[in-house]
Amino acid sequence: MLANHYAISQQVTYRGMVWLLAAQLVVMLPFAFYLPIWLIPVMLISSYWRFRVLKGESAQPKLFVRLLVVALGIAGVLLSGMTLLSLDTMVSLLLLGFAFKSLEAVRQRDALVVVFIGFFLVAISFLFSQSIPAGAYGVISLIILTGALIANQQSPAQQISRYATRSSLKMASMMLFQCLPLMVLVFIFMPRFSPLWSIPSFESHAKTGITDSMAPGDIANLSKSDELAFRASFEGRVPQSDELYWRGLVLNNFDGKSWQQLPDEYDTSELKHQLLYNMAWNDARIEIQGDPFKYEVIYEKTGQPWLFTLTPTTKVDGKTIKFGDYRVMSRGDIQSPFMMNAVSYPDSKRDLELSDYARNLALQLPASGDEKTREFARVLRESSLSNADYVEKVLNRFTDQSYFYTLRPPLLGDKDTIDKFLFETQKGFCSHYSGSFVFMMRAAGIPARIVVGYLGGEWSPDGEYLSVRQYDAHAWAEVWLEGEGWRRVDPTSRVAPSRVEGGLEAAVEYEGSFLEGNPFSARNFKWLDGIRKKMDSIQYGWRRWILGYDSESQAGLLKSVLDKMSSIPLAALVGALFLGIFLLWFVMLGLGRRQNYEAYEHQLYRKFCKRLEKHGVLREPQQTPYEFALIASKKLPSRAAAIQDFSSLYQQLCYVPRNGAGRDEPHQKMRRLLREIS
Amino acid sequence: MGLMVIIVLLFLLGINFQNSLVYIVCFWLIALLVINIFYTYRNLSGLTIKAISAEPCFAGEKMVLELEVTRPVKQRKSAIYFGWKNEDLVELNLQEEQSTRIKLSHSSDKRGRFTPPRIDVFTRFPTGLNTAWSYASMDIQGIVYPEPIEKSQHSDKQSLDDETSEGKEIAGGASDFAGTREYQAGDSPKHIHWGQYAKTGDLYTKSFVDYESHDLWLDWQSLNISGTESRLSHLSAMILAFHEAQKQFGLRIPGKEILPDKGEAHKVRCLTALALYGLPQAEASYVG
Repeated sequence: MLANHYAISQQVTYRGMVWLLAAQLVVMLPFAFYLPIWLIPVMLISSYWRFRVLKGESAQPKLFVRLLVVALGIAGVLLSGMTLLSLDTMVSLLLLGFAFKSLEAVRQRDALVVVFIGFFLVAISFLFSQSIPAGAYGVISLIILTGALIANQQSPAQQISRYATRSSLKMASMMLFQCLPLMVLVFIFMPRFSPLWSIPSFESHAKTGITDSMAPGDIANLSKSDELAFRASFEGRVPQSDELYWRGLVLNNFDGKSWQQLPDEYDTSELKHQLLYNMAWNDARIEIQGDPFKYEVIYEKTGQPWLFTLTPTTKVDGKTIKFGDYRVMSRGDIQSPFMMNAVSYPDSKRDLELSDYARNLALQLPASGDEKTREFARVLRESSLSNADYVEKVLNRFTDQSYFYTLRPPLLGDKDTIDKFLFETQKGFCSHYSGSFVFMMRAAGIPARIVVGYLGGEWSPDGEYLSVRQYDAHAWAEVWLEGEGWRRVDPTSRVAPSRVEGGLEAAVEYEGSFLEGNPFSARNFKWLDGIRKKMDSIQYGWRRWILGYDSESQAGLLKSVLDKMSSIPLAALVGALFLGIFLLWFVMLGLGRRQNYEAYEHQLYRKFCKRLEKHGVLREPQQTPYEFALIASKKLPSRAAAIQDFSSLYQQLCYVPRNGAGRDEPHQKMRRLLREIS
Repeated sequence: MGLMVIIVLLFLLGINFQNSLVYIVCFWLIALLVINIFYTYRNLSGLTIKAISAEPCFAGEKMVLELEVTRPVKQRKSAIYFGWKNEDLVELNLQEEQSTRIKLSHSSDKRGRFTPPRIDVFTRFPTGLNTAWSYASMDIQGIVYPEPIEKSQHSDKQSLDDETSEGKEIAGGASDFAGTREYQAGDSPKHIHWGQYAKTGDLYTKSFVDYESHDLWLDWQSLNISGTESRLSHLSAMILAFHEAQKQFGLRIPGKEILPDKGEAHKVRCLTALALYGLPQAEASYVG
């Protein structure tokens, strides 16, 4: 290294250290939202400690003290109840190391290490949040980190200048800004690989969205949130609102109170195995009919593997699995916005033959309980002509009797919940209706199951995409009928048709319970609608084009370009783009300019003489500026004042000694006068 | 180097988490590394370096080189280093001013003409992520005088004390009081011996003499020392001693004789003669 042979000062300067500490704080701040809260005071204290050392108010901590502090930090992280190999633990440790590194940062090299780890942490913070504000904050962090790099290179003499802070910030922003074209080019063309190894997951992340079981009340909780679940855009045929049933999970097992997916409770990876083993996707079970929907969905981060698609989805991208119950799951939990292309044939017939496994699942009922309903179902089935007739009769009962759709249903207790709902309260929302419907089907020996997902969504103003939010969560039912296969039945639609047509907001308009408990949601302010929709469409672009840019989008983009040109011109084009960027930099940084070493005032005076020559006053070589100004102002009386002023400014700059500083102002004045003269 | 490691780690992180923003940070850092090359190059480029002087020095001392560095009008320069490995290093900033002078010192080992080795000019500004460097070979020579080492002499011929006592008096001098004489019109009133006047009533004028050092010569031949360099070192020491004592002296070395004189210029001439003794004639020599 340079420093080994040259007598460069290797100490971090005062200002450099202040910059480092500031950059550190900026980088660490966002982690306050995701990691144990006690990390924040620890970081602040270590910064403050280093600052005191800097000002000479305390001594540089001894090695023993530093080791002790590090050990305490590690112990603290491990005692916070995080598992050893989770990402949170690693990030916490990295943050601690980052905070403590400044305690021993004395040499320039340490400063570089601090900044490099800072860069790394900025990227790490994007594993926690990828929102637009997080992105913007990341850019600011990058600028400040680069500024810290620059401040550490400035010599102490330069740092005293009162412009030092501004100039390193300005330079950092300038550099990063000029980097943009190259960064974008690399971003577009750098090949994307699939994950190399399985990654530790976040544990502290709350799982959001739909859960894997349903008890009365669950979906109503979701209805209080206007968080985005996913966005979809369609190519070609666009579905009607009664076709927007986004299938997520299939619930088969009823224990008398709540619904689960399978008889035993599994975690999601076991569930996948169970489903793959017993209910694998089989193309033969589906009879494709009608026109497809082709669409692209961008799922928000949920921490869960559920994906929501229109039924039945016949074609999906990689990274996902289709199952025999027509759901689609991601191979891993969705930790960052996830984009998928899919094709669905909504008019197809599914499972004309039902497997024993599926039939048993779809007929399961608890051994006892809800006896009234069972009896009622048996009687009603006997009086029906067929299964299909029975389905219609049960649905009609919801219409004929005084059922209410409400998000504020009365409590049903722990036992005989279906009885209570069907015969006493008769007030509820989708999970009540779909649950009791499936129960009545099974009680009559007809295979049925609950499907949980979302219904509807809100189209963007230009109809480009559909936003589905948590309050669009919905539960409906499927019954299996001989000769028809699975048929989707939504008992809720009989009670509250507006739930399907106009969404939840319309369905509960009468009781005003929409987004209850979330009074500050922008949805509650009609006049904000325009801004909200605009923001929403920016968000969509961000998700679609930046976060969702993966190997498939890359392939798509390249294909669309490649269709127009063969690969050799494309390679040439990319090469030319890179070259163009370098050329651009060359010009922007003034590297190509012919250097002019003459002091600026002399250059200006030369221009001045040329200009006067045009007006017919030629300066003889022996004339001093003073004499020349006299002659010129006599010949050009209209410009005399400017000529005199210019000339005296020039002479002042030439002959009045000044130590370099403060030339800018006279230079500007000279330029102005020069314009006046012409 | 460190940043490369971070970039590779970020790329792996981006791959494994399929996270576009991590990719963006990664690629942004790559771009920063690349543009930084341009910036660092720009910070160094366009400098004009002019050698102003090389101060003579004695062998073993440091020779001071003065340079004038000028920047292009529109580019400010920061943290540019001038110097040599394991030698002096000077940091230069050209912000407001367009040119400035710096002094660099380089150690010298033996007498003669000294051409400073090419100067390393480098900078790591703005980020310190890489270094732009260049060499500046200065067309300048400095004179290195022989190291002054006084050798003990076996002969008693040329000791400083003897010489002065043998000097011939020059009347009308100003240094030493030589006696009084009768006042003559035109004598300076400053020299009137007022004490005498008080005693005798006659005016007497004090008279002074200078001593003409009777041609004090530093002579190569008469030195009882063996070895060219030792002789030169001794002569060098003697010249310094005589100059210090403000003596008038001449120098005689083979092939060169400098007539007795005194003063700074004389000292320089003599020392230069010693420095260049036995060396081929230089095309041009700069004597500062």
